[in-house]
Amino acid sequence: MTQGASISVRRGLRRLAVLAVASVICAPAPAGAQTGAAQPAGRSAIQIGGYAMVGRFTLAASESFDAITGDHAGPIVGGGVTVGLPLGGLFVDVGAWKWTGSGERVVVLSNEIIRLGIPLEIRIAPIEISAGWRFRIPRLPRLIPYLAGGYSSFAYQETSTFAAAGEDLDQRYGGYHLRGGAEFKVRRWLGLAGEVAWTTVADAIGGGGVSKTFNEDNLGGTSFRARITVGR
Amino acid sequence: MQSAGLPPIDRGLRDQDPPRAARSRLEADRLAVDATSQELPYIPGSIIVKFKSGATAGALAAATRQVAGDTVDRSRWADFDIVAIPDATDPEEAAAILRARPDVEYAQPRYRNYAMSRPNDPLYANQWNFPAIDMERAWDIQPGATAAIIVAVLDSGVAYRSGTFRYNSRFPFRLVQGGPTYPALGIVDVPFAAAPELGTSGSTRFVAPYDFIWDDDAPVDLDSHGTHVTGTIGQLTNNGLGVAGMAYNVRIMPVKIIQSLWDEIFSSPNEGTDDIVARGIRYAADNGAKVINLSIGRSEGGAAPAVADAMRYAVGRGVFVAVAAGNTRSTGNQPNRLAQSAPDINGMVAVGAVGRTLDAAYYSTSGPFVELAAPGGDQRAGGTSAGILQQTLDLDVLETYERAVSQFGPPRADSFAYYYFQGTSMATPHVAGFAALLMQQGVTSPAAVEAAMKAFATDKGTAGRDDLFGFGLINPRATLRGLGLAR
Repeated sequence: MTQGASISVRRGLRRLAVLAVASVICAPAPAGAQTGAAQPAGRSAIQIGGYAMVGRFTLAASESFDAITGDHAGPIVGGGVTVGLPLGGLFVDVGAWKWTGSGERVVVLSNEIIRLGIPLEIRIAPIEISAGWRFRIPRLPRLIPYLAGGYSSFAYQETSTFAAAGEDLDQRYGGYHLRGGAEFKVRRWLGLAGEVAWTTVADAIGGGGVSKTFNEDNLGGTSFRARITVGR
Repeated sequence: MQSAGLPPIDRGLRDQDPPRAARSRLEADRLAVDATSQELPYIPGSIIVKFKSGATAGALAAATRQVAGDTVDRSRWADFDIVAIPDATDPEEAAAILRARPDVEYAQPRYRNYAMSRPNDPLYANQWNFPAIDMERAWDIQPGATAAIIVAVLDSGVAYRSGTFRYNSRFPFRLVQGGPTYPALGIVDVPFAAAPELGTSGSTRFVAPYDFIWDDDAPVDLDSHGTHVTGTIGQLTNNGLGVAGMAYNVRIMPVKIIQSLWDEIFSSPNEGTDDIVARGIRYAADNGAKVINLSIGRSEGGAAPAVADAMRYAVGRGVFVAVAAGNTRSTGNQPNRLAQSAPDINGMVAVGAVGRTLDAAYYSTSGPFVELAAPGGDQRAGGTSAGILQQTLDLDVLETYERAVSQFGPPRADSFAYYYFQGTSMATPHVAGFAALLMQQGVTSPAAVEAAMKAFATDKGTAGRDDLFGFGLINPRATLRGLGLAR
């Protein structure tokens, strides 16, 4: 085989590969897509998209987090994959994000919180598996409202100075969430979304520390998120 | 007084000594100097009276007349008066008469107070008491506090300085009724030295010393109790010598409010009465103390309103107060009257004692006023080495009255050794040192210190608070580490 033929074959394979990926992400392109207008979720084939998100998470255990970190809300960053199923607006979503906080160990006496100068770090890293529905608004084809709910698995890490073996915490707790929002398709493959999510992770904390003092056992909370979506 | 200029003598661990007799008298068997005075739980001839604010001079005079008194004396660091009454008048009856007056807030006899430790046999072992309360890990978090924290030790004095004091032993005495009579020694020079494990004489380790027994600023120890107690609070640690203390970087304020046997032999002008104790507490609070250790008290007599008032004053000025619960459980369980106000004062704690097995010590007084427990030793359960080991004055050369009369002579207070003592006196400095560590860690208010100690105490005995252990055995490491969010 000549060198020129080899290059040609390789280019052909590359095109095929690109087309294959594109077909997974976008196909089947409905007729309407040819107009350049964004479409609601596909209804006849699996569609895969990804997203990155930033937001702010407000924890339900407000007194506990206020005592340790001085705040019970903070920024989150994350991302995920959404798969549109060939069944109306049905989709599934797997996402992950993280929240971190730092503070000090404390002594809580009546209404007084005394900081002890012992650094403490908290890291919350949930994985959310959701199923939901995208709604079509014929007159606003670029705007796609959606609702979803599902299972949350919260990884919770708590580390502090002077901890002996077994005194730091690295656990995973299960819970549930509801999400709702709307995506605006800037391009056929690019969208911006805003959503609010409510999560409950009961009985995760509250067995010790200030969360026991304040009788707060839920690691969930409410988050507001902005997404950049890529794909369909 | 002259400067001695000589180093202290360290006679080391006295673990090979044969068991020795009681190192000092207790409440029940105090000696009678000159063998004539009847030993009473109070001083006859005067009582403590606090008149209500706004009481007129006429009212004071009327009150004084009512008990046939003739003088009213107000001392420094006192918000009460000492009213002189006839020697033949029963001070308890006189106090009761005055208490009935509308212009009197309280009135009480001048009850005598004593050191709370039990006699013990000075044999050798190690300091089981610190591991028992997890101190090694507590020191990781808070290594011994700093010189910013001043702990006042209100006791029999402290071996904190060198010098020679001249005393006059004017009266012969007997230790026990019917026992041999020890002769008057006349003028004697007694050498003193700073305990090597507490700090060097003249160092900044010691602040604002005061002696309420002799009314001067040299509260030297002629008993050994105060020096031992001070060692548990602040013995120099990590210095390659001897033993450790709870809060080994704090500064110590020696305040002498207890009369030792030698002070009595030398006819000190004051005894450790309630008014003296109250003044000592106020003095410490006014001179920068953050913690007061009171390993003293009395189980005889009535309530101690003058002392309770002084404790409230101290707590109000940001001073945490630790008081021994008493050592009477095996002999009638009478409470230490000075400790009974603990439940009413947030920032003052009454301390019971546990032995090496962390069970309540046989002597540790129980009652509703007991709030916490700490190691005080239990030599009945664990032998001599189950006491609390610290360096203190060498009893062989201090307590010459323990010898035969023919060998009786002046004491030396410049020689030191390590002894096991037991008692709630020994438990209390664990709590005082613990308070110093907590204050250094940021828990500064006395009420918060008490609440934190209780919150993290290891529950013992009956679930929840009980009369033996109070809220439990102190847990310095857990308290200093505090709470995380979920653990």
